[in-house]
Amino acid sequence: MGRYVIRRLLQMIPVFIGATLLIFLMVNVMGDPVAGLCGERQCDPATAAQLKREFGLDKPVWRQYLTYMGNVFTGDFGTAFNGQKVTELMGTAFPVTIRLTVVAIVLEIVLGIALGVLTGLRRGRPVDTGVLLLTLVVISVPTFVTGLLLQLLLGVEWGWIKPSVSAYATVDELIVPGLVLASVSLAYVTRLTRTSLAENRRADYVRTAIAKGLPRRRVVVRHLLRNSLIPVVTFIGTDVGALMGGAIVTERIFNIHGVGYQLYQGILRQNTQTVVGFVTVLVLVFLAANLLVDLLYAVLDPRIRYA
Amino acid sequence: MLLEVRDLHVEFHTRDGVAHAVNGVDYGVEAGETLAVLGESGSGKSVTAQAIMGILDMPPGRITAGEVLFKGQDLLKLKEKDRRRIRGAELAMIFQDALSALNPVLTVGDQLGEMFTVHRGMSRRDARARAVELMDRVRIPGAKERAGQYPHQFSGGMRQRIMIAMAMALEPALIIADEPTTALDVTVQAQVMDLLAELQREYRMGLVLITHDLGVVADVADRIAVMYAGRIVESAPVHDLYKAPAHPYTRGLLNSVPRLDRKGRELDAIKGLPPSLLHIPSGCPFHPRCPMVQDVCRTDVPPLYDVTESDADRGSACHFWRECLRG
Repeated sequence: MGRYVIRRLLQMIPVFIGATLLIFLMVNVMGDPVAGLCGERQCDPATAAQLKREFGLDKPVWRQYLTYMGNVFTGDFGTAFNGQKVTELMGTAFPVTIRLTVVAIVLEIVLGIALGVLTGLRRGRPVDTGVLLLTLVVISVPTFVTGLLLQLLLGVEWGWIKPSVSAYATVDELIVPGLVLASVSLAYVTRLTRTSLAENRRADYVRTAIAKGLPRRRVVVRHLLRNSLIPVVTFIGTDVGALMGGAIVTERIFNIHGVGYQLYQGILRQNTQTVVGFVTVLVLVFLAANLLVDLLYAVLDPRIRYA
Repeated sequence: MLLEVRDLHVEFHTRDGVAHAVNGVDYGVEAGETLAVLGESGSGKSVTAQAIMGILDMPPGRITAGEVLFKGQDLLKLKEKDRRRIRGAELAMIFQDALSALNPVLTVGDQLGEMFTVHRGMSRRDARARAVELMDRVRIPGAKERAGQYPHQFSGGMRQRIMIAMAMALEPALIIADEPTTALDVTVQAQVMDLLAELQREYRMGLVLITHDLGVVADVADRIAVMYAGRIVESAPVHDLYKAPAHPYTRGLLNSVPRLDRKGRELDAIKGLPPSLLHIPSGCPFHPRCPMVQDVCRTDVPPLYDVTESDADRGSACHFWRECLRG
């Protein structure tokens, strides 16, 4: 087990280098990074050249990358062009996005699994068909449509929520945005739980549990559900990373100043340091989430061994 | 009678039509007695067992008629709640493939202990102690340590011992064993069968042993019920049946067993295939494959005749059981 974890951590290194290099190159291709620094006007060539020298932008790309990575390892993610430290931006953005993600994951687990169990145990009944249809709609409609629609209806028309989230981004403000963020995954969790449950329902060990004279509730929860949720947990685990990165659209709609918002601003202003820094951290979160899921998998299913 | 099945009918509604899996089965088991139910796949032996246990998948299955009297009480008329209390505690079942019949993600100690926590309201600690005792009882070496292991960490024979321990846990009056040794190696089969027979004698349990293996039956069973197309075609004490079968199907089964004294000669197989349960032949369902077939067999369903020429309690569903008995 220990060796497995070490091997997995070592495997992260090339993935990490590859991912950051790719982002670094892509951001470089985006355009001239000093173009936006002189206000509305174009920088005069002399100033531009001086700025470039100052930021080390006259050096070849690979040198820039090495310098940047060297700094990252000392905890220096550089300075955004507005003078703020990127780490400072992260310090304000990440807590907000983490809160949003937690709200989304909780909704996904509670609602998704509950609906999945409900439909899985009542296959072919009206509840099942209804929920299935609903998940199909949610999956096929893009998040920005669901988001804007909910904002318009709940926020503007009916006034149940504030249409935009305040700077504090408290948990109760994030419930509707969290629902929007989670919606597609929630629909998948519902379907996955339903299918997995229906598949395991006819399993021999469930028949044994019934033959043992266990109460129905115990048969379902302890025997059927315990086995059926293994693939669901895997899905939710990998979704953590995806949700954090995927919050861009949701954060834009509800004006939440989180990671997605900062990334959007960074790209818009061709702010290399911000974009690369944030994405680097997201890559790390994603890798860590994946490792955790794989380890959790072995805990849930004793048949799986890592060596 | 400990268990008495009377005129049981079970059908399955499938896309292709109604499959008549069980068509009027009668059998009985006394306390301490072993009844072997013999038959090919699809003869209805397992479905009958599932109907007795109340673990039939309904739908698609449906019990259309009959009674299952257990200690004089018709199980089919009981409420699910009362039936559940009997299941596992008074009436237990051993399944064929222990690997798939045990829950892969729970330790065997937990799965055994569950019997005591649920039915007897024991604490988890006491239940675990009883689970270890049970594993000892079925002679699993190192029971205490192994109780914390998962089913996949055991060998096939050990797993089947755990299934037996689970069925035995609450000392039920009757155990139904559905092909308990089919999935095992031949050497292990004998050990498991001996263990089961030993425990049955010790606790004076009734045992319904479902099998298609004639070798297993001869050693342990008191009576045999032979099933074909969802019916009992012959029912007899084991020695009488082996000595002189009173049904051509039983005769065919006995002749199809490889024997040392007939080495080198071709094996007698029963011609044809078992009937489709969707289209059971008219008259005697065995008539298309029967070497003794007469016109009456194609039209009249034979009842289970009393085989009066024997002192023992025997029955045969053949119009010509006398001729068959004489060979």
